[in-house]
This record gives sequence, C-alpha cells and structure tokens, in this order.
Amino acid sequence: MSLEKVIFGFFVLLAATLNFGFFIGDLSDPSLHNVYELFAAVVVSLIATVLKFGDRTQIGAVHLATSLVADLQLIAAALMWAYATQISSAGLDGQAMASVVSLSGGALLANLVSVVLLVIETVSFHRR
Amino acid sequence: MARSTRQASRHPGRGEGGRRGLFGRTQDNSSTIFLILRRMRAPLIVLIMIFAVSVLGLSLIPGRDAAGQPARMGIFDAFYFMSYTATTIGYGEIPQPFTGAQRLWVTGTIYFTVVGWAYAIGSLLTLLQDRAFRQALALQRFTRKVVRLSEPFLLIVGYGQTGQLLGRSLDALGRRFVVLDTSSGHVDSLDVDQYHADVPGLAADARDPHTLGLAGLEHPRCEGVLALTDDDEANLVVSMTAALIRPDLPVIARTTSPTIAHRMRAFGSPTVVNPFDRFGDHLRLALHAPASYQLMSWLVSGPGAALPERGQAPATGRWVMCGHGRFGQELTADLRAEGLEVTIIDLDPGAGAETDAGADTGADADTGAGADTGADANAGIIVGDASDPAVIARADLEQAVGLVAGTDNDTTNLSLIAAARKINPSLFIAARQNRPASAPLFAAVDVDWLLVPTEVMAREIYAQLSTPLLWRFLRDMLNQDDDWAAHLVDRLRRQCGSHLSRVWKVTLTGREAPALGPWLRGGDARIGDLLRSPQDRERQLDAVPLLLSRHSGESILTPGDDITVAPEDQILFAGRPAAQRHLIDTMTNDAVSEYVLRGRWVPSGWLWQRLTRRIPHSGQP
Repeated sequence: MSLEKVIFGFFVLLAATLNFGFFIGDLSDPSLHNVYELFAAVVVSLIATVLKFGDRTQIGAVHLATSLVADLQLIAAALMWAYATQISSAGLDGQAMASVVSLSGGALLANLVSVVLLVIETVSFHRR
Repeated sequence: MARSTRQASRHPGRGEGGRRGLFGRTQDNSSTIFLILRRMRAPLIVLIMIFAVSVLGLSLIPGRDAAGQPARMGIFDAFYFMSYTATTIGYGEIPQPFTGAQRLWVTGTIYFTVVGWAYAIGSLLTLLQDRAFRQALALQRFTRKVVRLSEPFLLIVGYGQTGQLLGRSLDALGRRFVVLDTSSGHVDSLDVDQYHADVPGLAADARDPHTLGLAGLEHPRCEGVLALTDDDEANLVVSMTAALIRPDLPVIARTTSPTIAHRMRAFGSPTVVNPFDRFGDHLRLALHAPASYQLMSWLVSGPGAALPERGQAPATGRWVMCGHGRFGQELTADLRAEGLEVTIIDLDPGAGAETDAGADTGADADTGAGADTGADANAGIIVGDASDPAVIARADLEQAVGLVAGTDNDTTNLSLIAAARKINPSLFIAARQNRPASAPLFAAVDVDWLLVPTEVMAREIYAQLSTPLLWRFLRDMLNQDDDWAAHLVDRLRRQCGSHLSRVWKVTLTGREAPALGPWLRGGDARIGDLLRSPQDRERQLDAVPLLLSRHSGESILTPGDDITVAPEDQILFAGRPAAQRHLIDTMTNDAVSEYVLRGRWVPSGWLWQRLTRRIPHSGQP
C-alpha cells in the first residue's frame, strides 16, 4: 500500500466531493449554497493541484490539466462572490449567485474528469 | 540467412529510413525540471494549509461591527487581512478594531503565517536556483536556439584562444557558429564578446555524442565541425563522431601529435591542423622565400591587416634549438631539411617523443655532468638545463646564427632570449609564446620571430573557411619564385594600400553577372576590360586579380590584362572595398557594363533606351 497514492486519491476525491456539495441546490438561491464550502473547495483544489506537480506520465499531465482548469473556475467563482458581496450595490442576489454556482459547476466537471482518470488508472493497474 | 542478417546488423544506421539519430535521450533533459517541480510540492502545500486555516478561523471568530454588535468578519476581509499580515506588511485591523477573541487568534496566526511564508518562499527560491535545475534550463534554451537556426552554421568545439580568435574572424565574415566548451567561464564570455549575430553556447563535454547532437551535428544547416580544444584526445573523439554520424561534413581538427593526426585520418578525411608543423613550414618558406612568406601572412591575416615586414632570416649556418618536445622536433626536422645545422639543448631529448615534456624549467642543477652527449651519434645534442650558463657556453652561441626558444613555459623562453641576446646581440631569435598574457613581454623583448600556436591555427582555419579560392592560391603560390611574390606585394601595396581591405571571389555566371552574358559568350572577354573604372574607363580599378580558376579546372595565377575569361570562370580579387562595389556595378548594371566594356553611353532607363534607340548589347537576347 503506497501512502503517496492514498494521499493523492484522498485529495482528488475530497476536491470533487466538496465541489459537488457546493454545487447542488437551486442555482440562484443564496441560502442553499454555503460559502464556507466554496472556500473549502478552493483550498482543497489548490492542494490537489500541487500534488499533481512533477508527474512525467501522460495521465499525470492530463490530471494536472484538469486540476488547473478546476482551480481557474473555482477562483473565478470566489472572485465573483467577493465582487457581489463587497463591491456590487445589488449584493448577493439571485443573478450573482447563479454566476457563482455555474462557475463552480464548470469546476465540478473538471474534477469529475480527474476522478474518472484516477479510477481508470487504478482499475488498469496490474500488479506483477 | 546468417550472412544477410549480419549484413543488416552491420549497417543499421545507413540510408534514410534506418538512420539512428543521437536524439534518443531528450527526455533526460527534462527530468531535472520534473524533480524540481516535485520538490516544490511540500512548501506550496504548507503555504496553502496555513493560509486556509488562518482565514477560516478569522472569519468564524466573532468580531464587532460599527454599531458594537457581534458580527463575523467575512471570508473576503479575513483573506485580505491574512495576506498583508503573512507578508509582514501590516496595515491594521479592519473593518473595526478587533475583539479579544479575534486578537488571540491573530496572534497565533501571525507566528504561523509569517514563518510559513518565509519557509515556503525561501524553499521555492532555493529550488529555482538549484544548479542542476539552472543547467537543465540552460540546456533546453540552448537546444531550442540551435534547432531554430535557419542559416548555415559551423560547430566549434573548444572556445579557448583559438576558438575566440576564429570566432571573431568568422563573425566579421558574417558566418554563424555554435560553441561547445567544457569550461563554463569560456561559454559565459560569449555574452560579453561583441558579436554581430547571436551565438548559442553550451558548457558541456563534447566527447559525448549526445551533446554534439544537441549542438547541431545532425542539423541540416550545419556546414562543418571544428575541433579546437587543447586536448588532442577530445579532438580525436569529436572528429571521429563527426565522420561517423555525418560523413558529408567537412571536419577541421587541431592536434600537436602526429600519431593522433594519423588516427584522425583513419575516419573520413578531416583536415588536421598541427600548429607546430605549420610554423615549421612557414619558417622554411621564410628562410628561402621571404617575399612569399610576407605575401602569405598578409593574405591570411584577415580583413584590415597591415602589410607585415619582410623578415631577413639567416638561411645558412647553425641554429640552436632549446627545448626538444613536439615543437622542437618538428622544427628541427624542418630546419635540417633546409640544410641548416641544428644544436639541440634539452634536459631529456629522448622523452619528448610522445609528450610535450620538453620544458627545461630550471628546477634542478643538472648541468649535464656525466651525461655529456655533446659528441654523440646524433650530432649536436646537449643534455642539460638551457638556463645554466655552462650549458649555454657549450652551445657556442657566438658562432650560431639563430636561436629557437621553444619550450612550453613562457618564463623559460624569455630567460633564454635574454641570456642569448647578451652573449650574441646579432642572433636571430625565434620564440614560442604559450599564453596570451605574456604577449606584452615578448613584444618588449623584441624577438625576430614569434610563434603563437593559437594564432597560427586560427589564421590557417580562417584561410580555409573564408574563401576556398584563397586556399588554392596560397598553395599554388608556393611554386612560384620569390621575385614573383615580391612583385605581387609591391603591386598590391601600390594599388590597394598597405592595409588589406578585401579578398573576394567573383563567379561569372548568369546569376552573379547578368550584364556580362553576351560579352562573355563573345569569346573576346579580356580581364583588363572588366577592370576598367565605371567613372573613367581609361583608369583601372584598385583591384588585383590573384587567381583565375576556369571551369575546366585550369587555374592561372595573377592573370594579366589580356587573358580572356569565359562563362562559369571564377576570379579571386584583392582590393579596396570601393573597387568591389564598382565591379559589382559593372557585372549587374547593363548601362554601366555597356560603358565600361564598349565605351558606349546608354541611358539607364528602359523608356529612354527605346526612345533614343541606344540599347545596351547585354539587354538583347
């Protein structure tokens, strides 16, 4: 049992699950989406990206790519949320909430791809 | 069956399809970069965790709003606060002064985040400055630069004194080159040297064929390999690799050992330059044909060189050779071939055969006692330390005509020269300068003949690379007598000044000389007509034709004005830059060539030519 693989799998799945948790619920209802979950999703996604550095295989490269995409979308969602709460005069209304959640939905898709790659890698691993 | 497979396995690399390249291992270059990326993971994760925990905590701990009511700081404000706290900027407590609970948490996070930030940033910077990482990056940059070269370039292995001299001359000619050297100091000096074009350089061991491959050995635009390191073995390996991987490429290699030269010639047909051998040849030329030597050294010195003085080396008598290493042996053989008598002084003349250990560095007090082989079978060998006055006395310098200070130690050579001048002021002295730092000392001591091996090499290679016709001229010139050379030097000096401006080649093809077509085909095309000045055809241009090389292979040295030229002939000219420009005008401009060759004035423009019906002959089909 490789500790490195456990940690890697843990963080990839945690990122995907936190992201999913933030995403589900009515798109434009602010009370259904907890901002702390978005915060947790951003942090864990960044950690997962860092864990994917330095892998020379093709699958490793695609993992890193999906993680970067997810980071990009989640950070955009966080910026959108900060804009809506701090800068905009309308506050966190339905429209702004919809933008935040849809961006996190995009990140969710990237995280799902990463999870699928992880599963494929695990299933196709033949112990000699 | 067995034979065919053996055949197949013996020639796997030949042919277009089966050529095995050197680029199989490019992935190794990026392994260092991946290693560094992996090492960056720990500091980055620490940074992220510290930030996350601090921000989360700060946003959850109850604060106070403007009205004094308990309220929580949002994530945004918490993140903003932690950013400027962790980076030790420290503006102040926002949006309201903190409650006690908040201050307690912030105190903890200050220690956490500041230390964590310093650790993370410090580790990242150290990793980025890791030597292996930087070398891997430099290698990648170099490889990319070489791959993107689209002009023909030379691969120079060894960027010591010879490489630098040659680099400068080649750059003046506009030729590109790539540099490989084991010393990173030499390669770094590429940034400082003022070159017109960008010169990719790599500090790596050129004996590795993979490195040569990265430096462009397999590049289609590579047009030659020069092996100029001071290690003969390395030159041999480079020459071998080039001959095996690219048999079509010309290779020029430097060596001072005849056995290594022989081994080099076993692979392909490299040009092997032995500076000692060349110096011996030049010395022989200077002894029996000083004007030829003057002409030759003038022409190979490169553009802008001043006319060297004609030396008066003594051609008869006895010479004394101090130092009998490789250099000493070559020179002794050359001098003896000229009919001169040579006395050799060396600590150990026999051992200088394969190593260059001819240095008598004056360490011991061996005055040759008991080993006095002055009257031995090999006439004229004195075993001893040349700086010892007793040994010098045995050499009888008053009766000698020339002295060669040829050890590989500059200090020894200088001492020998000084001692010899004291004994016999009219002695002709030839000396060998090993390091460029000693140049002012040798200039002050005023030797009659100075050998700087690196300069000899650089000039020789420059002559070969710059103009192949020049090379042929220099070879053919040796068959002429000295008076001919003296006349040519005078003519050059009269017409072109005492500074050699330009040596260039003209090929009389339709592409290079379109305006001369009908004139050449007419059969009566004299060189003298070609050299008339476009400004006044009664005057001649300041250019001297050195060599006429006909398409049939025949070549004529310094053709006279009445020699006819035919299409596809090549002419080597020496002259002023203005003359070169006028000549180009004559060859390309119809109106100018009409005036120069036939004396007819025609208008330059097509319209006027038709209107006045004065059409140049070269314009007619």
